[in-house]
Amino acid sequence: MTRRPMRRVLVANRGEIALRIMRACRDEGLETVAVYSDADAQAPFVRAADQSVRIGPPAPAESYLRIDALIAAAQATGADAVHPGYGFLSERAAFAQAVTDAGLIFIGPPASAIVAMGDKTSARRLMAAAGVPIVPGSTKALTDPDEAAKVATKIGYPVLVKAAAGGGGKGMRIVRTPAELPGALTTASSEALKSFGDGSVYLEKYIELPRHVEIQILADQVRTIHVGERECSIQRRHQKLVEEAPSVAVSAELRERMGAAAVAAGVAVGYRGAGTCEFLLAASGEFYFLEMNTRIQVEHPVTEEVYGVDLVREQLRIASGLPMSIPEGPLVPRGWAIECRITSEDPANGLLPSAGVIQWLRAPAGPGIRWESGVESGSEGTLYYDSMLAKLIAHAPDRARAIAVMQRALQELMVVGVATNVPFHRKLLADPDFQRGDIDIQFLERRPDLMAASDDDAAIERIAIAAALLAEDQRISRRVSAPAGAANAGASASAWTQLARRDGLR
Amino acid sequence: MKYFVTVGERTVEVVVDGEAVTVDGRRTVARIDVVAGSPEVRVEIDGFASTLAVAGRQGTAWQLVVAGGVRDVTVEDERSRHIRLLAGAGKAVAGHAALKAPMPGLVLRILVAVGDSVAAGAPLLALEAMKMENELKAAGPGVVTAVLVTPGQAVAKGQKLLELGPQT
Repeated sequence: MTRRPMRRVLVANRGEIALRIMRACRDEGLETVAVYSDADAQAPFVRAADQSVRIGPPAPAESYLRIDALIAAAQATGADAVHPGYGFLSERAAFAQAVTDAGLIFIGPPASAIVAMGDKTSARRLMAAAGVPIVPGSTKALTDPDEAAKVATKIGYPVLVKAAAGGGGKGMRIVRTPAELPGALTTASSEALKSFGDGSVYLEKYIELPRHVEIQILADQVRTIHVGERECSIQRRHQKLVEEAPSVAVSAELRERMGAAAVAAGVAVGYRGAGTCEFLLAASGEFYFLEMNTRIQVEHPVTEEVYGVDLVREQLRIASGLPMSIPEGPLVPRGWAIECRITSEDPANGLLPSAGVIQWLRAPAGPGIRWESGVESGSEGTLYYDSMLAKLIAHAPDRARAIAVMQRALQELMVVGVATNVPFHRKLLADPDFQRGDIDIQFLERRPDLMAASDDDAAIERIAIAAALLAEDQRISRRVSAPAGAANAGASASAWTQLARRDGLR
Repeated sequence: MKYFVTVGERTVEVVVDGEAVTVDGRRTVARIDVVAGSPEVRVEIDGFASTLAVAGRQGTAWQLVVAGGVRDVTVEDERSRHIRLLAGAGKAVAGHAALKAPMPGLVLRILVAVGDSVAAGAPLLALEAMKMENELKAAGPGVVTAVLVTPGQAVAKGQKLLELGPQT
């Protein structure tokens, strides 16, 4: 094995993941370097690092996406390795190559693996060759209805007619019976011609109500293994909001089959480090490769909780040439973990992002709770980066208890200053369908009620009572002009009410 | 003391006499404990406790954080309610409204023109913020009387984007 000693890691990212990586580095006795844009100069992750380097203005293109500035920062600080985190440059082969060319260790897969998985069409072809199941479909554009009918019969109804040049649902038709096919071909083709200037269409098997199930893999110089699945079916506009491990839809036997497919995918591209294969899982138990994410993922903590591993630590070990520290033999998930992404999106305002200063933040704690956040009281939400404030992870012996622990934690959580999607999470966790695990990737599309602000009369009355009592408290504390040592001055004239009063006078 | 508390579209009459609190004529026992050095407030109503936070206050307008959600609440005593009703402030707002930017962002597209008649919920303008495109919709029916921004323009939170007048 080639050992490449590592001493100082530059984290080419921001927010919660930068902090997460720096914590792992510190646990391993490694020094850390933070890079930051002007918007993040005060951020907790910058203070957590041993050294920090300003790399530019807030816009990502002028800071976190500048390969030259990042390499220069690594060289100036004597870093010998670079961790890309997720998003930003993490899946740009050019960045991995530039880091390597500069004589530094890239904590991630080789650039060649990023390239192989980066182009979806060629990745699908590569996966099919490696025996990884992909969604069955025609490989070339179809125009002749008779030929299309033959292909449709072969892959089995229902089928999806898709524009070859397409995207965004345009030129797309679900066909359930052979009789519908000729008409669907004509309309899809003319729609595709209008939208994309190219009328060619192809066929794909239509998967009914699929779940999003992904497999975590780890690969060192000797072994490629899988670390079970995560289910991420709770998504809105392709943004995952709630993830869990394991999945209610995955048996031990299916886990081994999906795991073997993910390992085969990793081996096919010479993967190293931590990566994730995303699959669609049909109700029938059949699964199909979607894509591979060649980086650490946002939702990695749910895997860590149920398998008792530290995936970032394994990334660091593998990058420095050490074997992964996970024993050989099958891994068994212990209990259940759920993650809620806490974002600054306001359900009372159509889930629009809400920006502002976090005046007050009280994070949940206690048994089974993990809080991964890049913000604190005083942090300013900026619109330059994504709207995730924190990840809240609950771990318990089974799914029902993990839901209960998460509900308790969401009650403890208090964020003042920006609106968050906490009301959505509270409604989702209380929903009978979610509690039964009866979910798929279209779940939230069918359930806009979970996203909407709503109140019953009892809730409004409770708010009204509390608000009236607050006003009464202010009225009384103003009238009693608080002589020194007044018996109840501490109870009513708190620092906060004084502050509110001062604000009121301004 | 009698208060009129407006939460969303509903106005509730709350009479506070120490811990005896009457809500729309129904008697409850309720108290609050303001947590020193924090915006958090413990609320206990008929033996059930919960915690809310005061995010801000301007006169009779309070912003509270309740069950994870931000709530704008108006609390008026009889005198201030009387003054407001006399001044007719309630009427002036109806029928004439401005669409304001709910957050800072970039105007992508304007979907209406001056003179357009719009229904409640009709998309008015597309705004980009946090890498997401957001469609801003009409809160109620009206006629577009002014368009105050252009595509490509950066806008601040609360900036007026469009004005809507009453339908004729």
